[in-house]
Amino acid sequence: MRAVARSDGSHAIWTEASEGFVSEGGRLWFGMAISNAEGESAAKEGGGGRKRKRREEPSLAKWRTQGEQRTYSTKLVEALRRVRRSPPSGATATTDHARSRAVREAADRALAVAARGRTRWSRAILSGRTLKRRIRPSCFRPKPVGSSAAARAAAERGKPATLEKKARVLGRLVPGCRKLSLPTLLEEVSDYIAALEMQVRAMSAIADALSAASSAPAAEPM
Amino acid sequence: MSSRRSRSRQSSSGRITDRQIDDLMSKLQSLLHDARLGSHDRASAAKVLQDTCSYIRSLHREVDDLSERLSELLDAAGVSSAQAAIIRSLFM
Repeated sequence: MRAVARSDGSHAIWTEASEGFVSEGGRLWFGMAISNAEGESAAKEGGGGRKRKRREEPSLAKWRTQGEQRTYSTKLVEALRRVRRSPPSGATATTDHARSRAVREAADRALAVAARGRTRWSRAILSGRTLKRRIRPSCFRPKPVGSSAAARAAAERGKPATLEKKARVLGRLVPGCRKLSLPTLLEEVSDYIAALEMQVRAMSAIADALSAASSAPAAEPM
Repeated sequence: MSSRRSRSRQSSSGRITDRQIDDLMSKLQSLLHDARLGSHDRASAAKVLQDTCSYIRSLHREVDDLSERLSELLDAAGVSSAQAAIIRSLFM
């Protein structure tokens, strides 16, 4: 482990195991993305960012930058290489399913890494991935027509139970956000949605590039 | 006394008013769903939450489909040609 003095005066420690910088606050920063994104995020944290309560404005634009997507794609490709190597390639359906699940998990982990540990959902993904496995689609019932008027009337009297129920459903969808208050939950949700959109864009680009390459096999000498 | 309020208000940190929550909610979700909702500027909170849930689910489904596609492609193509193609695509 070696210590590095960062531009904003704080110190970070490079750990080999996690392939990233762990700053004093315990958040994970990653070397690849530091060059293009550290400027804005370090400036935001500043010198006194650790003591006072941080008011993180939702900077969702970062999920739409080309740089972020490229960083994510690179990380994802590395992870996908590892996916290829470890599972024994059989021809059964279960293996296919397991492989696509491994791809999905690698993609989600890479996405959580790209979030640089600043959001709850990313930390939850990196620390276990146990929250997201059981998605019961039956528990989300479509809102019947009769209750919409009642819900709207009740909404004027303050937060009714229906709204809370929906908020709970939403909290279950996002990893690590089951017991959050509504404002925090909404911030997490917006960041999560922006990140998911980037994930979709990056994976589509990779899949298109792969299918283009495999359909036109110009044998590159390797 | 407090049990009456504890159901309708998660009093964890500070006095966050309902109005504030609703404002935040409509702002955040409208920001993300500007392509989907079209020009609904009076979406109720419940509808916003519901739309968000559906949207997240559809994104998850899309990611699952893409993972499946990627796993098939990764098997078919060689690793090195795959990497070459991906790096090429990153610079397009």
